[in-house]
Amino acid sequence: MNASLLSFSLAAVLRRKAKSFALGGGLAFAVALVSAVLFLTGSLRSEAERAHAAHPDVVVQRLVGGRPTTIDEGARAKVESLPSVRRVVPRVWGYVFLPSLQGNVTIVGSPPGDAPLSVANGTLAEGRDLAPGAHEMIAGEGLARFLGMRPGDELGLPASDPRAKPMKLVGTFTSSLDLWTADVIVCDDADARALLGIPDGQAVDLAVHLSNPNEARVVAGAVLDQLPGARVIERDLLARVYHLAYGRRAGLVLGASLPALLALLVLAWDRASGVGPDERREIAVLKAVGWSTADVLWAKLFESLLVGAAATALGVLGAYAWVFWFGAPGLRPALVGWSVLYPTSRLTPAVDAGELLGIVLVVLGPFALLSVVPAWRAAIADPSESMRG
Amino acid sequence: MREGSAKICGLACLLSPALVVVGLSADARSRRAEASARAPSVAAVAARLPTSDLALSGGARWLRAPSLEEPSAAFADGPGAPDPDPAGGSMAPPVPLWNARGAR
Repeated sequence: MNASLLSFSLAAVLRRKAKSFALGGGLAFAVALVSAVLFLTGSLRSEAERAHAAHPDVVVQRLVGGRPTTIDEGARAKVESLPSVRRVVPRVWGYVFLPSLQGNVTIVGSPPGDAPLSVANGTLAEGRDLAPGAHEMIAGEGLARFLGMRPGDELGLPASDPRAKPMKLVGTFTSSLDLWTADVIVCDDADARALLGIPDGQAVDLAVHLSNPNEARVVAGAVLDQLPGARVIERDLLARVYHLAYGRRAGLVLGASLPALLALLVLAWDRASGVGPDERREIAVLKAVGWSTADVLWAKLFESLLVGAAATALGVLGAYAWVFWFGAPGLRPALVGWSVLYPTSRLTPAVDAGELLGIVLVVLGPFALLSVVPAWRAAIADPSESMRG
Repeated sequence: MREGSAKICGLACLLSPALVVVGLSADARSRRAEASARAPSVAAVAARLPTSDLALSGGARWLRAPSLEEPSAAFADGPGAPDPDPAGGSMAPPVPLWNARGAR
């Protein structure tokens, strides 16, 4: 690399400050917007997949009129009798609308035998696990804060069922888990039934755990044979659902910002590919004083690379800081949704060196090449004609 | 600007993408390691939840657990109707799941 040419190019870039800043600023903004959407989408997808392993291998629901409805717990025995089925757990969960919140909270019944929740194992920010039959609950930290509750406080949730009792908050989930627990209240199975109005002997769905998860497809088919009209959801298919859901969101956000991006790219292309009269005269002078065409091309390539590299680096750095250091203000609601109980925990980056390098090369390569062609045209023109204009 | 410092500045500009890639990769790796350390607590909580869907769109019941709900219509309160919740327009229905079920 010719270092003198590089310093000459830097001086040229600084001489045309306004053009360089307009070009670099536009490019940096476009790179930052696209990169931020990609970073946020990738992160959400990987967060969704982190909890995926704990999901049951198969979930069985009952449909009536095409809508999910409660399933008779008698179906449990039929599913349990199938080969490869290790455990079937009837689950009770649903939603309760809180007028004070103007939103739903997710009520989850906790059957006996679940892994314990505690401050020590990092699941609870404060308090302890539920004691069965004591009308207790554990809530997401954001929800507890919204309701102004501390462990020891009692809450009566709206319910038409007379069995529903006020419940005592005995713990809150740690804030690092609020992507899953922001709107969740976990309580005793009986309390959940009372709150949601689900009679004994019924469940919302059946969670089926298999001794060999690879047999999920076969078991799902067998469940459908045993329970015609059931809806069977396999865990592995859910990964594809997440992929689709977040990809679609990212696509919509990028689609909405496409006009702005296109305007910026057209501006950048126009600026990068056009050689103005001043630059044409400068190239002619350089050729007249003995510069070769190759020297001129190198100098012009360095100019583009200097602006493009700095703008790309700034754009990628800005996007990363925007999403992972500052929590993606402005962008997060568009991709994450407009929930009343908004998960605020920090996202974990899923982006790696390969992806970052890919973004840099995709932007920088065409940008640099685009600017060389007009410079080459100017460099092969007759210097005296160029100087006369 | 002196030529020596101009060369250094120029070189720094040219190398800035590489520096950013290396720095951000290292930061991302350390954050992923932190997240991995929290994996047991995520698993313990996820085992109690009905779904591993993220609590992203809790304002509407049909959006909170899209992987488990609404098999026949994207929005049961008005199949084919415009989604009343802005986030819903961006949340894809579980198409592969339906396709797989239909194929059986």
